[in-house]
Amino acid sequence: MKGFKPSAPFLLLLPATIVLAAVVVIPLLLSLYSSFTPFRLTRPETFYVFIGIRNYISILSNTDFWWAFGRTVLLLTIALNLEMLLGLGLAMLVEKATRGQRILRTLMMFPMMFSPILVGFQFKFMFNDNIGLVNNALQSLGITQDAIPWLIEGHLAFIAISIAEIWSSTAIFAILILAGLLAMPKEPIEAARVDGCTPWQTFRYVTWPFVMPFAYIAMTIRSLDVARAYDIVKIMTDGGPAGRTELLWTLVARTAYSDGRMGMANAMAYFSILLSIAFTVYFFNKLAAARTQIGAEW
Amino acid sequence: MDENSSARLKRRLLSVVYRIGLFLAMLTICLPGLWIVISSLRPTVEIMAKPPVWIPQEISFDAYVSMFSGIGKGGIPVIEYFRNSLIISVTSTVIAVAIGMAGGYAFARYRFRGKSSVFLGLMLTRTVPGIALSLPLFFLYVRLGIIDTHFGLILAYVALNVPFTIWLIDGFFRQVPKDLAEAAQIDGCTRWQAFWQVEFPLAGPGIASAAIFAFLTCWNEFALASQLTRSVSAKTLPVGLLDYTAEFTIDWRGMCALAVVMIIPALTLTYIVQKHLVGGLTSGAVKG
Repeated sequence: MKGFKPSAPFLLLLPATIVLAAVVVIPLLLSLYSSFTPFRLTRPETFYVFIGIRNYISILSNTDFWWAFGRTVLLLTIALNLEMLLGLGLAMLVEKATRGQRILRTLMMFPMMFSPILVGFQFKFMFNDNIGLVNNALQSLGITQDAIPWLIEGHLAFIAISIAEIWSSTAIFAILILAGLLAMPKEPIEAARVDGCTPWQTFRYVTWPFVMPFAYIAMTIRSLDVARAYDIVKIMTDGGPAGRTELLWTLVARTAYSDGRMGMANAMAYFSILLSIAFTVYFFNKLAAARTQIGAEW
Repeated sequence: MDENSSARLKRRLLSVVYRIGLFLAMLTICLPGLWIVISSLRPTVEIMAKPPVWIPQEISFDAYVSMFSGIGKGGIPVIEYFRNSLIISVTSTVIAVAIGMAGGYAFARYRFRGKSSVFLGLMLTRTVPGIALSLPLFFLYVRLGIIDTHFGLILAYVALNVPFTIWLIDGFFRQVPKDLAEAAQIDGCTRWQAFWQVEFPLAGPGIASAAIFAFLTCWNEFALASQLTRSVSAKTLPVGLLDYTAEFTIDWRGMCALAVVMIIPALTLTYIVQKHLVGGLTSGAVKG
């Protein structure tokens, strides 16, 4: 006992490491192995058959997979960018408010409390072609006569899902950007105005660089959890109509649990994991760069 | 004079535009939730009505009553789901916060080699999509016989929450000045005492909000729960919500009522922590 004296941070981080190793890392190694087997749930003996990278080859030549992959990247790109823009707009609206800022801030957090599954259900209800709020409103206002098949037509369903996704996550951006705006010293803005900057220039060269790290924190947090779009899609369309809203994650779930092809699903899952990691590392680096750029500790 | 009044007009116009913008933004945020609440309180006939009935003609709590009056009447066993959700969320939150406090303290107070890569590594375990993680966990849990149990889900949720809890708690410990604990140690406290007597009370509210955040993550989680649980003995509320859609006809009113039941605890808790949450996220680690 005397000879080995581990350092304090090592001991403190030990429980976290053990739990994460047991529940995340080891299972992932297992799934990495099984992605090299033709493992099917119905035939356990296939777990021990090694087939090399054949799963990966058949995935890469599968057009359904590439559609799902492309659609996932498209959804994330659209959603993250719009969430950032809308969040910025919302934060600036609320920051300008002279009265009732506290209540506005609370209202703004509202969508964050909804679990993704609830968001999905709520928008499934609102976009229902027959009794949904959206169609009822459009028809009452006389904008359209027919019921628009929001969740039944492929493109419209994709739009509906994007709206649900954006609704649920804009709050995170808005709140963190608002925190940035409130923490910002007022002198630089006044100085810029005295020096004759237009409002746009003031925003672009003074406010934005300061707020940017906060936006990247929001991006990093969001990218930790991008896959929760699965919940929304699962309940809104379940990948339908005819696979037109199938995302990487719903495809993995379908391959694994409906078709029982675990080996194949694990190989697909690795693509989704790599995608998530790529997003996170990207924003994490941006965040670190933004922090050093303003060189401030807040 | 002319210039003056036109400037005044412009200013007034801008403020009107601003108010309309703010109102529309808030309406978009609140309307979906309000609509669910309203729909849960009105009879199904009104929900289905064509042309639509906009203002509820009568308010009834039938949906809630039938939901909580047992399996036969409400269609799904909400009470059991509620109990499962509560047990699983509370237990895993307590464990995750204990582990997260140790980890967060290590990041906030010590310098060690590879600190920022260890931090990134912890965060990366969080990025693994729930559905991707569920595949090997499903297989392992079946083998170990802990599929469809509280224990299995608690274990998974602890792992899910630890990285983010560390991030938050690290941020809160950073806000507590180092000097305070050092002063306490000079006055004769051990490091352990200094932590519990000085730093812990100061970071307390922050840690509480990290706990609530972890609780909400468990309360809302779906992807893992939907695969790792199957029966009434372990299913949580989000999975239970799907019971309604599995049927051929959807009981919209019942679903709305269940949604309200799910959202109320979340709403209350988020309201309590909102202030601390932002502080914890923005002053967090990554650096140094």
